[in-house]
Amino acid sequence: MSAAVDSQGAASSAAAGDGSRKFTNKQILLILVGIWLGGVVVLGAIYGIHGTRNTSFEPQNEFKLDTWVNLGIFSINKAVLYLFLAAIATSASMIYIARRMQQRPNKVQAAVEVLYELMRNNITGSAMSEKMAAKWFPFIGALFLFIMFSNLVGYIPLPTNTEHEISVFGLQIPSFSLYAATANLSIPLVLALVVFVSYTFEGVRAKGPIGYLKGLVPGGVTGGMAVAIFFLEVLSNFMRILSLTIRLFANILAGHLIILFMAGALAVILGISALGWFTLPFGILLFAFEVGLVAALQAFIFATLTAIYLGGAVAEDH
Amino acid sequence: MPVLASNGSFLIKPGIGLMVWTLLVFGFTMVLLSKLAFPRISEALERRKRSIEESIDSAERTREEAQKLLAEYRSRLQEARAQSEEIVQHARQTAEAHEREAKESARELAAEAARRAQRDIEVATQRALGELRKEVADLTIMATEKVTRKTLDGTDQKRLVEEALGELDFSGLSSGAANN
Repeated sequence: MSAAVDSQGAASSAAAGDGSRKFTNKQILLILVGIWLGGVVVLGAIYGIHGTRNTSFEPQNEFKLDTWVNLGIFSINKAVLYLFLAAIATSASMIYIARRMQQRPNKVQAAVEVLYELMRNNITGSAMSEKMAAKWFPFIGALFLFIMFSNLVGYIPLPTNTEHEISVFGLQIPSFSLYAATANLSIPLVLALVVFVSYTFEGVRAKGPIGYLKGLVPGGVTGGMAVAIFFLEVLSNFMRILSLTIRLFANILAGHLIILFMAGALAVILGISALGWFTLPFGILLFAFEVGLVAALQAFIFATLTAIYLGGAVAEDH
Repeated sequence: MPVLASNGSFLIKPGIGLMVWTLLVFGFTMVLLSKLAFPRISEALERRKRSIEESIDSAERTREEAQKLLAEYRSRLQEARAQSEEIVQHARQTAEAHEREAKESARELAAEAARRAQRDIEVATQRALGELRKEVADLTIMATEKVTRKTLDGTDQKRLVEEALGELDFSGLSSGAANN
């Protein structure tokens, strides 16, 4: 409290000094909260707090894939565009920084170096032998970066919503929307399948097909119990595909949906203008949370589990 | 399709085409990264690691050299101090020896001078005594000749002189001269 008083005092004396009024962070926050609550009251008073439910708006359609270029099953749609955007962002940024590596790094290079060390030592190096880590790092590193960039690109509003077009000087352009390749089931699924195939292949290569299958049963377990555990382990291996897929897909999809709802979809569905203004700050906070934490965290989890599965596949004992 | 779109089931329906696209795009990205990005970053980090290790080694070497130099300087300082103490000691001993010699020499000179003076005194005393004896003898002869009104011969003169000299005591003179 005294610190606040001091800071206020300092602010007021500074204001007296240079003639312009400066606000403390607390004052700014209070003003913003005031504007927010005032806006809710004003909008509520003008448009009312009871609305008519809008049945024509279906928020899940934000994730619907319209065919843009028809190439049969390889048709180009929004997800393919986001895949390419993620690939370009990943490759371009990493190659650009890699080609300009300096002895004395700037902030961006330092951040990339931290990321590289994280991928190389923490994710890959800690889960397997050094020789195996050197072999599998390009895969695990690429997986981490590709998923992370894919998630991050998904938080950039881009004119990709062809369902709702807007007119700009007579030109019909798709409305801006948030979409992520990883919010589509197919993409995490294929990545999880690649992981499954990779670690199964590595395990079979290290132990042989029979040895790998035998390795699924923990040492010391024999008889009927061993058979039961073997089937459970086989099932668990297939479940890994689902868990890897759904964890990434559901997190990103849920993040986008909740941002969508908080940023106005809820108000549109319920037809209450004041509600849109009320939920907007939550939308902004969730957006920051998703960009700042979830995007990288989900990539980290996916890559770490991949490394653990690979390391576990060649480990002597299950 | 509109039914699919409205109930949202398309969200959990995988598409083969998209999966193939993903495989291709991810594979291509992985190849690009593993050929053009990762090796360069790894090389740069390795280079920096080596550079840091070299810097640490160099700092360690410099420190060791500095320690060695310091030890050498300390040892030299110690030597110089010991040498200076030795020199001072030597100078003191030399000075003391000189002093002793000088004192000895002065004492000897003084003793020599004293001895020489003693000898001179003794010589002078003997000479004076001789002269005195001669004077006493002459006086005695002269006095005796005057009293006896005769010239004394050699034998008388010798007897008279010896008697006179025998009555005189010169010991005080000779001892007093020796003392002086």
